[in-house]
Amino acid sequence: MSKTLDLYDIQGNICKGYGRYGFPKARYFFVNFNEVSASRNFLLALIEKITTAEVWPVKNDSSVKPNSTTNIGFTYAGLAALKLPERSLKGFPVDFTMGMKARAHILGDTGSNSPEHWDSIWQDDKVHAWLSINGRDDDEISQRYSEIKALLSDYPGIELLSGHRGPNDSILEYQDASAVFENGQATGKEHFGFTDGIGNPYFEGSGAHRSRLPGRGKLMRDGTWQPLAAGEFVLGHPDEAREYPPAPEPKLLSRNGTFMVYRKLHENVDTFAHYLDTHVKGFDGSKDLLMAKMSGRWPDNGAPLTLAATDDEKIVLDARMADLIQRTNDGEECAKGQLKQLRSQWIDFDYDNDKSGSKCPIGAHIRRTNTRGSLEHEKGAFDRPGALVDRRRLMRRGLPYGGIDEAMSDSGEQGIIFMSIGASIERQFEFVQQQWVNYSNDFKLGNDKDPLIGNHDGNLLDKHIIQAAQHGQPSEGQHGQPSKPPFFCTEMPRFVETRGGDYFFIPSITALRMIAEDMIDPS
Amino acid sequence: MSNTSGNAYALTTLCPIINGAILDAQGNETEAHDKVVRRLLQDIPLNEGSFFAAVDNTYFARLFILNDVFFQQGNEFEQDHLKSKYLCFNSNFHGDLKPYLEGMWNNCEAEVREIWQHCVGFSRVDSAHEFVRYIKACQLKTTLFFNGSNDESLAKQLKALYVKQMFSEFVLTQQGKSASETKQNFKYFLQRVQLNDLQSPSWKPGQSELKP
Repeated sequence: MSKTLDLYDIQGNICKGYGRYGFPKARYFFVNFNEVSASRNFLLALIEKITTAEVWPVKNDSSVKPNSTTNIGFTYAGLAALKLPERSLKGFPVDFTMGMKARAHILGDTGSNSPEHWDSIWQDDKVHAWLSINGRDDDEISQRYSEIKALLSDYPGIELLSGHRGPNDSILEYQDASAVFENGQATGKEHFGFTDGIGNPYFEGSGAHRSRLPGRGKLMRDGTWQPLAAGEFVLGHPDEAREYPPAPEPKLLSRNGTFMVYRKLHENVDTFAHYLDTHVKGFDGSKDLLMAKMSGRWPDNGAPLTLAATDDEKIVLDARMADLIQRTNDGEECAKGQLKQLRSQWIDFDYDNDKSGSKCPIGAHIRRTNTRGSLEHEKGAFDRPGALVDRRRLMRRGLPYGGIDEAMSDSGEQGIIFMSIGASIERQFEFVQQQWVNYSNDFKLGNDKDPLIGNHDGNLLDKHIIQAAQHGQPSEGQHGQPSKPPFFCTEMPRFVETRGGDYFFIPSITALRMIAEDMIDPS
Repeated sequence: MSNTSGNAYALTTLCPIINGAILDAQGNETEAHDKVVRRLLQDIPLNEGSFFAAVDNTYFARLFILNDVFFQQGNEFEQDHLKSKYLCFNSNFHGDLKPYLEGMWNNCEAEVREIWQHCVGFSRVDSAHEFVRYIKACQLKTTLFFNGSNDESLAKQLKALYVKQMFSEFVLTQQGKSASETKQNFKYFLQRVQLNDLQSPSWKPGQSELKP
């Protein structure tokens, strides 16, 4: 029997991303609990506003779906300030207990990424809780924000923390985030111009439609996809090792809760644009192709390089898409099916026919952060092709920020609020960040780093290798002689810099109420 | 069980540390022998700074103190303890044991004496010949090989690492250059790296990181 989760007990944005459900705007703000009973009373009053993971129809249905959402998570210091019992506090994993700043060396938050360069809100360790609002538009965000601010003012003893760098050198008491809009429509773009946020994991009991499983679940030996175990993303449920993820006592405190990584990632848009302009000169292809070879997906529509690995192939793919869309709009059922099948390949693919990286470079961003079956270097080496990635999947829930109220530049405020949800920060996010983003031993690429988000320093050896196409039609598996030399992106600077963040525990509704009512009893 | 693999040798020795404390001139007990040894081991610098960097052909060496072991089988809780603490010395190196240990004595006699003087029976060791005899007496036959090297001489392996690093840099700097220019630059490259000179330029023994 398939697993069912109590979606009314799990906070929203965990099982399904708000972005897909018509909430392209968000505001994140952080509070400090000065006084414990006022803080608990505030939480109690807040509970009715908390949005859960209950299933909404994808199409707008205002009778079911709210106009805005509210969620909350706590740092370890926040839970300590709320006077959780010592025994419960000691049951939290060390990664969460230490917090993101103390894990800087694991994460590569060194040099210009290091905590002394972070926004001032992170400087004095006062962040106790993260509050988030997602909304259909700015007005809905403002309205919900005003409601929560009014609630906060009812409970002196909780401080709304300022210190987010905002546009035009402002310092704000909140961090706004928004999908990038084009022609009035929200897109999946981020500020370098890539289409982002494709291919989040699919797990058991999440309530997501079964049609979303291929490419998002775990790849089985027979080529089919199964949902990942719920315990990879929600505490209190068995994970991929058929174990309960480490979590504090009592079980009610952790069950249906999870952990979240919040990171403000600044994007050096000038540096990135300049790097592309400089290096495309020696590159055999368009600037879009160069970008795709860094990310693994074409910037304009997110098509993976496994579908179209050259400029010519992309033209063919685009034409085919345009044709299918046109015929679908004309009511052709057959075209509709073909279009759906083609679009599914944005997510449902592997690198079995691209072992050499001649289509998607082995070091490209998406091939690092979701390795699919590519680490099974010898067929049949593991139980499943993706055995090495199934426990390292990241549920990304962030949005871009900035780029609205000021012109974009390196010194401007634009980037991504990266939020990643999972049952173990250390096993999932930190592992991916340390071993796959900022190191390459698993890919046999030495010390190379992720071309987009690696913490490069502009040295000659800060490089990304774009493997050359094979002779003739690159029907992979054959080891044809490369027809051209590989292309080396060298002297890579730091395109993305960390500007702050921390690790948060997102309790269930049950646990939130127990925390608010001081009823946590691990004995 | 062989403790050689091609030209690589895996040495494991257990030398008993003298029980009890060191006596001063008046015959009073001072610090325990194993405490002094532990401090000495903890003070050995790593990588290039270690005295093992001066012992030719060392791939990997490690010294630690084995406090105790106990053996337990089934439900019967039977313990078997050691009668003393042991200085455990592992080394993986190129070549035969005798010349390796002679090289260790000849290059690092002071460091060897400082550490091993706290071991039972070492007071009789006063030459490279005696040191070889002593270590052989303490040797265990094991196959504990360090997986990070092959069985070539250390000089050859270090040169290979150096050439690999330099060649990577060479390749990265030739992108976009004409064939004739690359050919010319490759000549300079070969002159610079001196493929047949294993000593120089090369990585230093104990070097653990790429150095620009």
